[in-house]
Amino acid sequence: MYINWALQQINLKIVYYGPGVSGKTTNLLYIHSKVAPELKGELVSLQTQEDRTIFFDFLQLEVGKIKGKKPKFNLYTVPGQVYYAYSRKVILNGVDGVVFVADSQFDRLEANLETLNDLENNLKQDGHKLDEFPWVIQYNKRDLPNVAPIPYLQLKLNKYNVPYFEAVANKGTGVFETLKAVINLVMASVKKKL
Amino acid sequence: MPKKIDGSKITILSSEQFEGIKKCLAELYAKTKATAVLFADLAGQLIGERGDTSKINTTVLAALAAADFSATAEMAKLVGEEARFKLLFHEGEKNNVYLTNVGEQYFLIIIFDSNVALGMVRVYTKKAVEALTKLISEGGSGKSIGDMIDDDFGDLLANELDSSFKD
Repeated sequence: MYINWALQQINLKIVYYGPGVSGKTTNLLYIHSKVAPELKGELVSLQTQEDRTIFFDFLQLEVGKIKGKKPKFNLYTVPGQVYYAYSRKVILNGVDGVVFVADSQFDRLEANLETLNDLENNLKQDGHKLDEFPWVIQYNKRDLPNVAPIPYLQLKLNKYNVPYFEAVANKGTGVFETLKAVINLVMASVKKKL
Repeated sequence: MPKKIDGSKITILSSEQFEGIKKCLAELYAKTKATAVLFADLAGQLIGERGDTSKINTTVLAALAAADFSATAEMAKLVGEEARFKLLFHEGEKNNVYLTNVGEQYFLIIIFDSNVALGMVRVYTKKAVEALTKLISEGGSGKSIGDMIDDDFGDLLANELDSSFKD
């Protein structure tokens, strides 16, 4: 979190985390397509030729002034493939909240678990504990035929009982609910610790 | 130093610190005759800038440069360097970018063209780094997050999010 008194700025960093092809970039693409021009910056995507995120995506959003203060939100995604572990660690620097984008398909459970484990370890190295850190889970791709039921995914992935949202990110379903929830959670978490 | 709450790195800049940073950047800009100088943190947050940035998306540049700097810090560890690489230099045909760390959590970006000598950039940047490090470590006027985020800020923010972020 960054607070500048002179400019009355409050900036949060939100990272979208998850296994490869789970829909992290799709979330940002949808957000960028819907938010009013005056509230968004340029969407930057560092990708391979096959349109896979190679380093990160970045999008800055803002809302109107609140009591004279200007909150802004720096959204990042990480590359999901296993071999980009170090890149994910780099992007987590200074994170305030995480959206874990899980692929709801049965055959992606292992990948979800591995990435969740990776997230927990990376946050631990930075002094955070996943059971106390502001994060939410997005169960994406709910429209596909071979998806696991929510109770099953909850059992496997949500041992800390964080807020979760069902989504079909390429249609926008659940995208804004997830984003708003994680921002509100970050603010609540900060207030609790004051 | 940035205040930590339960592992979170929270940077709170007082007005005095921000004025000091602006002054440092202005001096560095003038002395190096750079195109632009920027100051940011390793989370990718742009803190200050000076110079001709009208054609540069400095928000994006700060994010990219932070990732660049952090990635090379990991590279340094992998190759057995105990400390992070202290500076990065990207040489272009017309423009160059010089990145140098300021303490553990911040860095400077100096953009300059081929008319400016790298040596001059290095000398003046070193002085700027010392001044900025001192400014950051001295702390500000004792403001806290609680002064910025009061009781109803969260509710007002939630309402604003509902009206701004929707399908």
